[in-house]
Amino acid sequence: MGTTGELPDEVLLAGLGAGDAELAVAFVRRFQRVVFGVAVAVLGDPATAEDVAQQAFEQAWRHSRMYDSRRGTVRAWLSRIAHNLAIDVVRARASVPVAPDDLGVLLAAMTEGPTLVTESSPERLAVARDSAAGLRRTLRQLPPPQARAVAMAGIYGMTAQQIADAEGVPLGTAKTRIRDGLRKLRAAYLPQGIGDE
Amino acid sequence: MSEMSEMTCAELADVAAELALGVLTGRERAQALAHLDRCETCREDVRQLMATSEQLVGLLPEREPSAGFETRVLSRLGFPAPLPGPATQPRPALTGPAAPAPAAAGARPAAAASAPWTRRLLAAAASIVVLAGVAVGGWGLGRSSAAHMASPAQAALSSAMFVTPGHRGAGEVFVYRGAPSWLYMSVDLPSGDGMVTCQLIGSNGKVTTVGSFQLANGYGAWGSPDPWAPASIDGARLVAADGTVLAVASLR
Repeated sequence: MGTTGELPDEVLLAGLGAGDAELAVAFVRRFQRVVFGVAVAVLGDPATAEDVAQQAFEQAWRHSRMYDSRRGTVRAWLSRIAHNLAIDVVRARASVPVAPDDLGVLLAAMTEGPTLVTESSPERLAVARDSAAGLRRTLRQLPPPQARAVAMAGIYGMTAQQIADAEGVPLGTAKTRIRDGLRKLRAAYLPQGIGDE
Repeated sequence: MSEMSEMTCAELADVAAELALGVLTGRERAQALAHLDRCETCREDVRQLMATSEQLVGLLPEREPSAGFETRVLSRLGFPAPLPGPATQPRPALTGPAAPAPAAAGARPAAAASAPWTRRLLAAAASIVVLAGVAVGGWGLGRSSAAHMASPAQAALSSAMFVTPGHRGAGEVFVYRGAPSWLYMSVDLPSGDGMVTCQLIGSNGKVTTVGSFQLANGYGAWGSPDPWAPASIDGARLVAADGTVLAVASLR
């Protein structure tokens, strides 16, 4: 592995922000699959997703100094940027992005796929993997209506009303599914269940 | 217009998940935000739910974009097209003091490959503060308190942990002994908001002060190009304004 390939994510991000061509290449190569994966999961359409992914890298470049490692990994920060941009596109076209089959495929990928986690130390990596694995396992074990509601809200950015319409249930039921589903996931992500019922 | 009624903690708990997921709208959202303004307990609840929602996005599978994606991204940012394959050449990397550099905050070189060191310093000054706190536990280039030499292809790159007098990890320093040489460090001390000075210790025992930077709540990052004669450095240390040695790193 070469020099840039071994540099920490944070260094590559700082290099990108500083205008360093080689570190910028390494940054894009390291994260392009993550960013495109998020965008295409939300948008479905690869062409639109690629444009969103490009925008995400541009935002990372422009706002690299906003990244705070104490609040999460570079991967999570970049994923959040891509996700927010993708949701903006979905909302701008005023359409509900999800078809029932697509949601099933997405949930299967989220619950069965490998845990792809990068961290800056073996200890933090182990904790992150445990958290991701716990979240994946809990998502798999959620009652399907709750898992669907959480995915529709958390991945596609659908409101409770949109979920209620899509699922053919009352608004209150959709809200309850979102609430209960996310709180169960939180209990898995934070094993101590701080403040959780 | 009627005055907006106040939301109780129980009512907030009912919509906290939607708020954390960013899908709460209209009046409910306004009421929830107003409640959070005055309720620390509910803020923490929502913060945890937001962290969970971010983890949820992190479960999305990676996907390979179409061929040429990276070239298109880099072109969009004004960088030159990359060579095929992984970028592997040892190179002088980013540097820059963590101290504020307002004039540089918007500096974004369009074609950055030829940016001179001074320009990189200024640009990095704005971005490098984001690296605060990344070093605890090691960065993969080396996780022991001793210096770690990289593979032969990158033999000039080494790193070492900063260790406090109490033997606590306090960050990491990266050293590139190339042409030009550079030094980069991130610091994570339990506390501290003052200026710290970085000193290099030569193999002959000579101590050279190479720069100072500001810590924020114990965190800070700093770098510099070509700050010493290559191969003459045995270690680095961080010194507080009153002369106290805060941490040392052995690069032997």
